[in-house]
Amino acid sequence: MVPSNFSGNFPGSLSAHRFRAIAIAAASLIAVCISGQAQAAAPAGCTALQAKYPGWKGKTLVNAINPHTPGYEAIDPKDPDKYVGFDIDLGEQIGECLGFKLTYKAVTFAALLTTLSSGQADIVISDIYATKERAKAADFVTYSKVFDGVLVAKGNPKGINGINTSMCGSAAAENTGFVEVPLVQDLMPKCKAEGKPEPTLQLYDNNANCIQAILAGRADTYVNDVNTVDQAVKANPDKLEKAIAVTIPYSVGIAVPKDKPEFRDAVMAALIELQKAGIHQELLKKWELDPNNFKEPDILMAD
Amino acid sequence: MSLFLHYLSLPYLITGVWFTLAVTALGLGGGLILGVILAAMQLSRFAVLAVFARGYTIIFRGTPLILQMVFAYDALPQIGLKLSAIGAAGLALAANEAPFIAEMLRAGVLGIDRGQVLAGQALGMTPSLLMRRIIAPQAVRMMIPALGNETVSALKNSSLASVISVQELTLRSTQLASSTFDFFSIFFASGLIYLVLTTGVSVIQLLVERALDLDRPATESRFARLLPWYRAPLALQAVTSDPIATAQPDEAVTSKDPKISRADRTKRSAGLAHNEVVVDVSGLYKAYATQPVLAGVDLNIRLGEVVALLGPSGSGKSTLLRCINHLEGWDAGTVKVGGRRMGFREDGRPLSPRALAEERAVVGVGMVFQQFNLFGHLTALENVAGPLRWVHGVPRADADRRARELLERVGLGERAHALPRHLSGGQQQRVAIARAIAPNPAVLLLDEPTSALDPELVNEVLEVIWRLAIEDGLTMIISTHQLRFADEVADRVVFLSGGTIIEEGPAHQVLTNPRNPITARFLNAMETDKPTVAPA
Repeated sequence: MVPSNFSGNFPGSLSAHRFRAIAIAAASLIAVCISGQAQAAAPAGCTALQAKYPGWKGKTLVNAINPHTPGYEAIDPKDPDKYVGFDIDLGEQIGECLGFKLTYKAVTFAALLTTLSSGQADIVISDIYATKERAKAADFVTYSKVFDGVLVAKGNPKGINGINTSMCGSAAAENTGFVEVPLVQDLMPKCKAEGKPEPTLQLYDNNANCIQAILAGRADTYVNDVNTVDQAVKANPDKLEKAIAVTIPYSVGIAVPKDKPEFRDAVMAALIELQKAGIHQELLKKWELDPNNFKEPDILMAD
Repeated sequence: MSLFLHYLSLPYLITGVWFTLAVTALGLGGGLILGVILAAMQLSRFAVLAVFARGYTIIFRGTPLILQMVFAYDALPQIGLKLSAIGAAGLALAANEAPFIAEMLRAGVLGIDRGQVLAGQALGMTPSLLMRRIIAPQAVRMMIPALGNETVSALKNSSLASVISVQELTLRSTQLASSTFDFFSIFFASGLIYLVLTTGVSVIQLLVERALDLDRPATESRFARLLPWYRAPLALQAVTSDPIATAQPDEAVTSKDPKISRADRTKRSAGLAHNEVVVDVSGLYKAYATQPVLAGVDLNIRLGEVVALLGPSGSGKSTLLRCINHLEGWDAGTVKVGGRRMGFREDGRPLSPRALAEERAVVGVGMVFQQFNLFGHLTALENVAGPLRWVHGVPRADADRRARELLERVGLGERAHALPRHLSGGQQQRVAIARAIAPNPAVLLLDEPTSALDPELVNEVLEVIWRLAIEDGLTMIISTHQLRFADEVADRVVFLSGGTIIEEGPAHQVLTNPRNPITARFLNAMETDKPTVAPA
């Protein structure tokens, strides 16, 4: 089912496949390790962190998520009262490390940061790309590199091969507030310059609607996180395909309120501990995400 | 199909239904409370309140609910009001529903026949009592279909709460669709669940409409009516007794001998001259814009006196009667009933509507209207007994007994439990008379009591009035076009034209030998009904 133009353009994915082949025997062991770890104890450094940042110990915090991204955050199809995914596990591990528990608040993607800044949530771990623009609304602790996939109808009838002039004249579905929106908008003058029709943008508020837009023939492409695109192809293998994967110059970040620098530092410190203990990497494997996503944390704030 | 059924019964979605219902209930309940306040403000006589309510309506009816939801959820915390997601959604939905519900309430209240309100005021009901007993019960009945609509709309609108993370049915459906990719099965299932909910609302609406239906016999068990072997009882008794009830007064009218009563009444009229003045109107002036309707009226009515107000349409008869009861204001002059200046405090400032109502009840001015103005949702008995209980605090048993006696007197003992709409015009007017005299008023005002009746029904009403005058010695002012009746019943005739009294005097004298040419012309025009010049 892998399209022919796929492997050459996306080394990250290639290595993921290689890894999968190597680690397939260890997969069950890893899963056991992770669940065992989650139950047993957080990394040793966490004890020191809880002493250094005692303000969140024993608390229950609200994590605002847009649970429409299987693999990162979505409800568990087997038990819909639970949210599952890489971001969910990472958040709970951070919570474990700092001594807090998480509850979840499901909002639209565009409402993630407003929910945080209005105080209706304490933290946002929802596959949100940390950009300077968004850093005006929240501080980010970045934890993952970004690889985008270009989702198209089976056979890629429009021949789209990236966020470039191959998209001229086609209809792109995106979620309101996605960083891909301005990227597609930037194409409009370029297409015009080449004498081609401009691409059109259709804005929805979750992945499912964007994917449906392609299935229904309303949109030609949907550019989003490569894992989301892979999941969509997996669910509709005879109707969709991933045209290409592209790198875009952002990191995924955990958003925290701007007025709580101590909390930001605590989250960052906890994430470092998790990475030192190898938990972050194991979670990537558990959710079959590309290990190349791994990134040492940074803080992104508004200038 | 199996997926569809799976999602239809999925506890995750069913739980979402409860959130949907919770938001809807909060929105409707809060909207109802806010709507009542808004409607009251708009109907209030204080302009500031009405303007404020109008402004609120413009803002909340004119902006999308989805914005209001986001505002309640994300903006209110900035001023320290952090509601839960359900709370914020409920608040936004309530704020949004309120103007719509307020307009429904307002339409319901304004839809109540103005005459019923006048009748209630004349009976001494305070504005709040009128609202509670007369307007609200009828307005609510009219509003049920619209409220049903609004409920369905609120239920569907609650799905917008998904944007502020309320775990209601729509949000749960989209989340489930995102994680399973079973887009259509899930949305068909949640669509069907919404349909079941809205159908439930429609069923409740129909049941409420049935329960409030005044035409349903109240004595029947509601459950019994649902049983398959139930047969509706035939309402034969009421129908057959009807002609008898109406025939009797006719008989009485024809058997009455005007000669005897006139001789008696001449003697009576002489005696009346020494009685105390009950109604004292002096210099009464009232104009609509620049057109005077009452251009300086002076009139005294003595205890036990029956005065017929005659005059062409538009001569000010009705206005004069309404001024005596202070149902209408005026521009200059005074009206005193029982020595009291109606409608004014001792320092001369006007009374509030509530205080005025209480004064009407104390002073006792009964009023009978051309259009009967019975309370449409109350039986004949309740039309009479209700005001006695509510305004005068008479215990129920006593009020019912008094009402039965009076209905018996006006020949309607058999129809005590009939609704006004099931009574003929003549019967309705007789109930209205019973209602007006129930609290023993000092004076009874009758505003063209037979003008709206079919000719064959006129006599039964006149007969009742005649007996009140002759047998009870009730002080009455009757505006009428029934010259023969005026001749038989009235002690005095007052002829109004162009807002002034142009002629007055003993009834028989004015009617048979008018001095003013306008009176003469009017009486000639009414030739057919004119009493004979010299009754034998």
